[in-house]
Amino acid sequence: MRVQLVTMPWHPIDLPSLQVGLLHRLVRRARPADEVTEFHGSLRWAEFLLERSAGRLRPGDYVSVGSDSIFHGLGDWVFSGALYDDPDWGTARLRDYAAARDVFIDTALDMRPYAADFIAACATEVLATRPDVVGFTTTFMQNVSSLALARELKRRRPELTVVLGGSNCDGPMGHALHRNHRFVDHVVRGEAEYALPALLRHLDEGTPPVDVPGLCWWDGELSRANTETRRTVAPADIPSPDYDDWQAALEASPVLEYVHPKLVVEGARGCWWGEKHHCTFCGLNGSSMAFRAKPGQRLWEEIDRLVRRHRLLDVVTVDNIIDMAYFRDFLPRVVESGWDLRLHYEVKSNLTRDQLRLLGESGTVHIQPGIESLGSRVLDLMDKGVTGARNIRTLRECENHALTCSWNLLYGFPGESAEDYDPVIDQIPALVHLQPPSGAHRIQLERFSPHFTDPGLGFGKRRPAEMYQHVYDLPEDELADLVYLFDSEDAGIAGRAERRLKEAVAQWRAGHPHSRLLFEEDGEDLLVHDRRHGRPHTTHRLTGWAAAALRRLEEGRTESALHRLLADDGHVVSAAELGEWVRHTFRLGLLFRDGPTYVSLPTWDAPVRMPDGAAVAG
Amino acid sequence: MTGLPAAVPHRVRGRRVAVDGPLRLAAGGRETAVAVQFLRECVGRGLDAAWTWAADDAGPPYDLRVLRHLPPPAERAGEPGELTAWRTGYVYGALYHRRGPGFVTVLDRRDAGTAARLTLDHPDLLAAFDRLGEPTPLDALDAVHQEAVGLLAAERLALVTDGWAVALPPRIRSWPVPCTGI
Repeated sequence: MRVQLVTMPWHPIDLPSLQVGLLHRLVRRARPADEVTEFHGSLRWAEFLLERSAGRLRPGDYVSVGSDSIFHGLGDWVFSGALYDDPDWGTARLRDYAAARDVFIDTALDMRPYAADFIAACATEVLATRPDVVGFTTTFMQNVSSLALARELKRRRPELTVVLGGSNCDGPMGHALHRNHRFVDHVVRGEAEYALPALLRHLDEGTPPVDVPGLCWWDGELSRANTETRRTVAPADIPSPDYDDWQAALEASPVLEYVHPKLVVEGARGCWWGEKHHCTFCGLNGSSMAFRAKPGQRLWEEIDRLVRRHRLLDVVTVDNIIDMAYFRDFLPRVVESGWDLRLHYEVKSNLTRDQLRLLGESGTVHIQPGIESLGSRVLDLMDKGVTGARNIRTLRECENHALTCSWNLLYGFPGESAEDYDPVIDQIPALVHLQPPSGAHRIQLERFSPHFTDPGLGFGKRRPAEMYQHVYDLPEDELADLVYLFDSEDAGIAGRAERRLKEAVAQWRAGHPHSRLLFEEDGEDLLVHDRRHGRPHTTHRLTGWAAAALRRLEEGRTESALHRLLADDGHVVSAAELGEWVRHTFRLGLLFRDGPTYVSLPTWDAPVRMPDGAAVAG
Repeated sequence: MTGLPAAVPHRVRGRRVAVDGPLRLAAGGRETAVAVQFLRECVGRGLDAAWTWAADDAGPPYDLRVLRHLPPPAERAGEPGELTAWRTGYVYGALYHRRGPGFVTVLDRRDAGTAARLTLDHPDLLAAFDRLGEPTPLDALDAVHQEAVGLLAAERLALVTDGWAVALPPRIRSWPVPCTGI
């Protein structure tokens, strides 16, 4: 059997597809007689745009539509015209949508005319390998481009078997994708490690795949959806990905000079925090929250193999949360290697200083700690399991260890009020030396999240997000099963509090590049050099117990706990005197206050700062 | 301890390095190689170097643009235009190297608008590159390594003047924020 694995736009062009890499190796291992090939349609699209537009539409434009417009569906819309054989399909609705929200759509509009020719060219290239089965992996905005190509492939060669899988196919979404698109023969819902080889066996034998858990298949004109399994794939059964074809395709591509290629690895699936406390807004783990991790030794062996083979030192992990065991059995191995790796990892925000130091030493310098908010009550509402004070400590330690911290400030949680935000907003000018959020964003209702599954949490009314009106030509009840994002009535803050929050974050972002708040030891004294935006530049000198107090507050303490600690350290200071000092130091903006807890804000180091987007593809 | 080469007298406070005397980057030979190594190591450690160009020196015996990734000299009245251009065009991380198992990767963005990626994995080339971490007289190298240095110089990864050679790309030991900015 000839199997072709396909990843279509808008898969990131600097990354191999982990799914294609895994399945390639899996099918080869399970079915040695099969011929497995890959088609990197995402890369092809970037090349196609570059060539057909004579260099006008560049890889940077691909990124702006493909990665930056997920919440507006622009990338999917680009291919809707090809899917529905109408170059103008959805354009009027998109224009109305964009005008109402002030969304920039010119780049997407520029790309749309190339989409149909591209799909035709893809079909020719895919069919040239004479595949028996074409398997698409789809996540985020890969649905419409994949459907458009699947449709064209089946039009040209009806006997071909088309299979869809990936995150976009999880649960009811997969069945809706199947039943609304007759040219899709099968949809694998959930993890594919067991299901795909089982399906290929049925295809070989010509038997109906009634026993493949989760699979959607056609029984005549009836779309059947087998019951999904609760059984998850064991880490030992997850193969190490094969990126040989991807690297060959990228190295032969004119896109190469615009991108910084990275490896993608997977240490774990699921979320150990979500198993206990599912963050109310998060739907990322779909239907399988169960946390499973490869042993650290195995993850390291995979990275070792891939780095040696591909000569790439940038590694992105797809794990939704780092396995805490990796601080013992993975990250120390990375440090020992002595290689100059640069790793990206999603972590939990309540890491210790030593853990954050280890991340930095190992080259795990790009972290996503899921900070989400700086107010403890709002963090409680989302069941995040951290406090605002803890999040501030994490942001401060990121400066100390030169860690790039990607985070968003989320709002709009049912039950929150302006009173939860005012104390945080008032303090944002003092935080300007710490890495700002990408922005303040109202949460969206995501399928699989507690907010979605339990309407009683505050989002009772919901409908498919409006952006899908310019993406799919399907009735609303079908969209309700097919899509991931939903519109609902706004919850939480609005009006003045929302405006204040957004303005404060905008000012944080604007003032950050030239702001520093640095400790320096001067004998037994402690100096704090305040070079923050919006304040007179000054240096504070702290002596005796005051210097000790500010250092003790690096860990975050209440006033009474701080008083006890200072007394234990032999400092003589009255509670009243200490209270006055805390209030004074807070007014200077050297402390963050979270309820009764104070955290000191100066850092011991300040990394070199680069302008936003300094090295983004052109 | 910053680990900066002691051959160039300097003082360090926080992330700022003040070089005590002028650096003779136009002199050529050992003196220039030592100065380049010093500035290169400042960049690798994320340190900001303040230094002055030796006022009496004429233009350098090489294309100054190969040093565009190193911190430029302090401004002075009547300075040559190429020093001004260096200052205005300076971007942290415009040239750097990273080490992997049996290879070194180099990213070169010294020419605005371009990004050249090189992988050094030939043992002779790697050995020569490692050797040039320290300023090295060419006549101390055997023929194979001299040839390798020639290749590195042709790719503008080594500066060779008056019989002395030094590697140009710093090893990044301290990533900037965002780390994807270089």
